Amino acid sequence: MTELAFDVRDVSYRYNHVAALNSLSMQVRRGERVALLGANGSGKSTLLRLLAGLCFPESGEISFCGESLTEPRLQDEQFFFGFRRRVGLVFQNADVQLFSPSVFDELAFGPLQLRWPARQVRERVEEVLRAMDIAHLRDRAPHRLSGGEKKRVALASVLVLDPEVLLLDEPSGALDPSSQARIVDFLVSCGNGAKTVIIATHDLDTLEDIADRCCIFANGRVVGEGTPLEILHDVALLERARLIRPHGHVHAQGEGGVQPHPHVHRGEGD
Amino acid sequence: MHIPDGYLSPSTCAALAAAAAPFWYVALQRVKSALHTRLIPLISLFAAFSFVVMMFNLPLPGGTTGHAVGMGVAAIVLGPWASILAISIALTIQAVLFGDGGITAIGANCFNMAIVGSLVGYATYRLIAWRAALSSARRVAAAGLAGYTAINVAALCAAIEFGVQPLLFRDASGAPLYAPYPLRIAIPAMMLGHLTLAGLAELVISSGMVAYLQRTDPELLRLTAPDAPPSGELVRPANNGMRLPTPRKLWLGLAALLILTPLGILAAGSAWGEWSARDFADPQVRREIAAASRNLAPPPAAPRGLARLSSIWTAPLSRYAPPFIRSASFGYLVSAMVGVGLVIMLALLFIWLLALGTPAAGRRRRKGFVEKTARGLLAATGQAVFAEDMAAASGFLQRLDPRVKLAGIGALIVAAVAVHRLWVLAGILALGVVLALVSHVPIRLLTARVWLAVLAFTGAVALPAIFLTPGAAIWRVPLLDWPVTQQGLRSAGFLIMRGETAATLSMLLILTTHWTRLLRALRYFRAPVAIVAILGMTYRYMFLFLATARDMFESRESRIVGVLEPADRRRLAAASAGVLLGKTLQVSGEVHMAMMARGFRGEIRLLDELQMRPNDWLRLTAFVGAATLAVWLGR
Repeated sequence: MTELAFDVRDVSYRYNHVAALNSLSMQVRRGERVALLGANGSGKSTLLRLLAGLCFPESGEISFCGESLTEPRLQDEQFFFGFRRRVGLVFQNADVQLFSPSVFDELAFGPLQLRWPARQVRERVEEVLRAMDIAHLRDRAPHRLSGGEKKRVALASVLVLDPEVLLLDEPSGALDPSSQARIVDFLVSCGNGAKTVIIATHDLDTLEDIADRCCIFANGRVVGEGTPLEILHDVALLERARLIRPHGHVHAQGEGGVQPHPHVHRGEGD
Repeated sequence: MHIPDGYLSPSTCAALAAAAAPFWYVALQRVKSALHTRLIPLISLFAAFSFVVMMFNLPLPGGTTGHAVGMGVAAIVLGPWASILAISIALTIQAVLFGDGGITAIGANCFNMAIVGSLVGYATYRLIAWRAALSSARRVAAAGLAGYTAINVAALCAAIEFGVQPLLFRDASGAPLYAPYPLRIAIPAMMLGHLTLAGLAELVISSGMVAYLQRTDPELLRLTAPDAPPSGELVRPANNGMRLPTPRKLWLGLAALLILTPLGILAAGSAWGEWSARDFADPQVRREIAAASRNLAPPPAAPRGLARLSSIWTAPLSRYAPPFIRSASFGYLVSAMVGVGLVIMLALLFIWLLALGTPAAGRRRRKGFVEKTARGLLAATGQAVFAEDMAAASGFLQRLDPRVKLAGIGALIVAAVAVHRLWVLAGILALGVVLALVSHVPIRLLTARVWLAVLAFTGAVALPAIFLTPGAAIWRVPLLDWPVTQQGLRSAGFLIMRGETAATLSMLLILTTHWTRLLRALRYFRAPVAIVAILGMTYRYMFLFLATARDMFESRESRIVGVLEPADRRRLAAASAGVLLGKTLQVSGEVHMAMMARGFRGEIRLLDELQMRPNDWLRLTAFVGAATLAVWLGR
């Protein structure tokens, strides 16, 4: 049995005649938490969709747990259901992910498609509603949810299947600090190696808590790799990947002193 | 164009629903068998899109605005069968959730707009576009004509449905029980508005949207253009901006369309209730009338009022045929065009007079349509949110099982449409008021949103019937000497009472029902899974698009400085619709991926709702019993 969850070899993908991935290679071990860092349009979302078997590479190969992930392979019902059960993708846009008329229906959707018996579906949905602290939203329609609630329901709709691999596309983007903290708490709790987590993000603040390893994306390929600490100190790399840019700002002179953070000062020195 | 409850007899509604059923069945089979599992989200989102586009105010010549149904666009992008489903879903949601169009008339409205509209629109588009390249201007013109033709043929169907009502359904005194006007009045009355304003709105939306797709994603037009030459990557449409007709071109186009309209040809021959005063003197015609009237001999001379009225209205173009033209059909056509011209001129004169009185008001109107649309979109969301809160409150109807409520109130609405006695109608309305009281639905709300609104609309429709319905005159309007007939009064009474009663009951259903629960419960009635899924998804994305469209209009409004030219306003409306369409297609693609990511393989699965309890059956029996009693008393 292989230790690799995903093995991506030399994959290229074009979207509307524009190259999104450029002979990209990377590997993800089981139980690892990997953050994909990169500016908008650097190919993170595309890679997640390829890993989830929703699109297929034009050239190169992706394998999941040693099995090649191709369109004909996913036509096979046995493999399709097994793969969907084990790999869950949370989309960046929660409005896309929440297509059912109510929160309960949303959570029940996945298990029902995978032919779980109705009784088991009901029990599991109620269990996840409680675990994710969204039981009070049970019969709420998606258009009556706040942004933070939508994200939590979207995450719950994937967790209901208890997948081994979680693919998350900017799970904490555009959220208020409290909602963001809830998502981060959850991701921290995944750190015991039970789940493989791949997160696309450009949020550098929480990186150390949510990832064991980072891959830096630029122009559809991986341009740098390392632990969060290594990456955060490689200012030149971050700047090249357009994750930080030189800017002027004032340091607080309070009791706490200056918070350490990676950035470049121009002209006047640090 | 949305036929309300009470305008068509239950048998007409049933017949039209039955006529629609095979089309729905074939459409569903086609969608199921289509390899594109993407069609389920696509149809759902398109239905949501057409729901929102129906709320766009399109500025039209003469300072008026109009709404489009969007069936031309749906047929062009989705093909006729998927378009039938998408528009049917949009119409159903409009009727059941927003009270726009009757619940008993859903079959009729779907038949006219979704089925006839989609098929005619599609055929026109394919015929005119033929094998033109995807990016050719010919496709834009074809789309505009397709939308125009589709809505007009649909309106003609509705007019014929109205027009046959007084021939077939009358009470003992001869008063029409439903729509009171015969074909001769119903057809011109419906077509005038659709050949001009509503048709133009559809034309602008359809052509504008195809022009938008040509610029952004021409391959989306490929589905309904299999014969078009393959477009290379680098072929871009020649037009850089959205090309929309200038006002002068719109007028020329309108004139051309009127010439092509075979309006008059349909109205050949006399039907019951459509005799001219001269017919009463002709022995041959008298025999025919008597035979058609269950051997009741017609009065020896024409009723005085009818003679006078007909001389007022038809004097210049007697019998719709100017004497110098021999062919009756041609004469009718000319009459129609003169009529249209007169109406437009009157409208323009009226608007000009208005503007003369208040110069500032004219300026405000020009900018106001953006604001008006934004306000309408906001109101729709607000209305739905209000209904959801109301449904969550405590009350008798709120506690009912949604299935019982839908079937029970549905039965009462059918009864209200079926009965032939005014006092029974009043009884059903009273029952509705009692239900409102025990469900804590404020009577003030019903007064403002239902009773006064229906009175204003149906009252305006019913008013002329008081004078135009043949029968015994009981009073004459001083000076004009128009006869008020007993039959006319009864007929107007039926129309208004039915409208009020059905609208009250629909509003109760809308305000007290938890829709997400009802959608799940629909599976209990063996509704096809695909339909339940599409309905749910449409309901969900309707709100997303309402918000998107509102944001779009509000942000544009904030950037508009000064007065917009009419062409700019049309371009702005069509561009907004185009942006929304782009969003629709993009989101539907992503939703499909999100569904696949969670195990969707083309065949959707839903959780079936729990069984009905004995108490639910009891309540359902009570509702159906009340409805049956009403039908029996009012037979």
